[in-house]
Amino acid sequence: MLDQPILSVRALSYAPSEGETLLRDVNLDIEAGGFYVVKGPSGAGKSTLLRLLCRLILPSSGAVLLRGRPVNRIPAPELRSKVLYLHQSPLMVEGGVEDNILLPFTFKANAALERPGRERLLELMRELRLDGVDLDRPADKLSVGQKQRVCLLRALVLSPDILLLDEPTSALDQDNAAVVLDRIAWLHREKGQTILLVTHGTQVIPVDNLRTLSVRNGTARIE
Amino acid sequence: MTHLQNIGTLQLFIGLGFIFLAQGCSILFRLGLARDLAVGAIRTFAQLFIMGYALTYIFACPVKLVSLLVFSFMVAAATHIVGSRIKTKAVRFRLPVFFSMFAPYLLVAAMVTGVIIQAKPWYDPMYLIPIGGMVVGNSMSSLAVALERLMADLRSKREMVEMRLCLGATDWEASRDLASDAIKAGMIPSINAMMGVGVVFLPGMMTGQILAGADPLASIRYQIVVMLMLAASAALSTSAAVLLVRKRCFGRAQQPLV
Repeated sequence: MLDQPILSVRALSYAPSEGETLLRDVNLDIEAGGFYVVKGPSGAGKSTLLRLLCRLILPSSGAVLLRGRPVNRIPAPELRSKVLYLHQSPLMVEGGVEDNILLPFTFKANAALERPGRERLLELMRELRLDGVDLDRPADKLSVGQKQRVCLLRALVLSPDILLLDEPTSALDQDNAAVVLDRIAWLHREKGQTILLVTHGTQVIPVDNLRTLSVRNGTARIE
Repeated sequence: MTHLQNIGTLQLFIGLGFIFLAQGCSILFRLGLARDLAVGAIRTFAQLFIMGYALTYIFACPVKLVSLLVFSFMVAAATHIVGSRIKTKAVRFRLPVFFSMFAPYLLVAAMVTGVIIQAKPWYDPMYLIPIGGMVVGNSMSSLAVALERLMADLRSKREMVEMRLCLGATDWEASRDLASDAIKAGMIPSINAMMGVGVVFLPGMMTGQILAGADPLASIRYQIVVMLMLAASAALSTSAAVLLVRKRCFGRAQQPLV
């Protein structure tokens, strides 16, 4: 028996305003543990598709199912901790690195989750090549590349089912972009993390079984 | 006690010279406000004359509850003015704004007329309308400032709000600090007014009473009550409006709409 897809999209359409349809009748099956590179021309709706999946915007029609369950029946905070969207720019709240990493635990929806202790945090920092960074360091003093990895770590402490990454390397120089992509690939390889990554397509992603999710001409399909 | 020195019609029209001065500034610095100043002056004349005649009839009306009708009309007009300053079509906010002005303003005005001035009944138009008018007029600006700030912050800090939502925050958790900042922004003018009153400026009500020949020591008592009342009504109405409007800025999936 085939495994049920972790996320399914059924007849999804999105019209940002009347008479303007950006995505029409999209059908997709995202497999658990898959790595999908979302590609397509600028303005085709790549980010829009990711934002529809986590209900930051709502579709005009159609459905998204998480493990067979319609996402509109899942409380939004719970859904977004599972189908976790990471913005292009790394946003930090006031405070230190640790405050930022533990930010999700200040929200009611995550109160029952186990908070990682300091040892575990240091281990996660090492895994994301942040081992030289003090947990008490003010977050706004970090480089953009470090901030992006702190954002990744902040998402990982919630153990999401799917990570939706919206051009996480667009603000980074080549070296930093390579480190971030390397860590994203590592998350997939070593931890089996399901990932949808929007990218402008020039960077090499060190993953063997990459799938391409192409968004163009108002629709999206897996190639 | 002296009597109020009447302003004749001729003197009233001489007062228009102040508007010509303001229009002169507008023309000199190319502000494009000359027409608005003219319209504003005409409206000031028209609205106050209408109000003056209306008050004469209302004060003479045997049904004293008519004051509540006038009060509701003032709040509705204030809602319209606040609404025109908040430029968004995505959120329907007029009804919450109306109620967040109506209830606290009426409460504060009723406490002043009933408990402090001890008017009988508390809704006597002679007291409730001028006191209510002061509350609505002054606190409306606080409310508009607060809502403008809330909308501006929700737009400019949308990514930050979304980032928190994406980490499992509810819409309240994601925008709580924006709501606090907006309420604070709305309350600052009334706090500043309390700091400056009697030193930087003499408020209209007190000045009016003194011009009408009242004892300055009696009129300051009224003014103290008015200042405290304005601080309370600004705090209550901005808090209520910001909380109600903020909720409407998020959709059924707690997604930002602004």
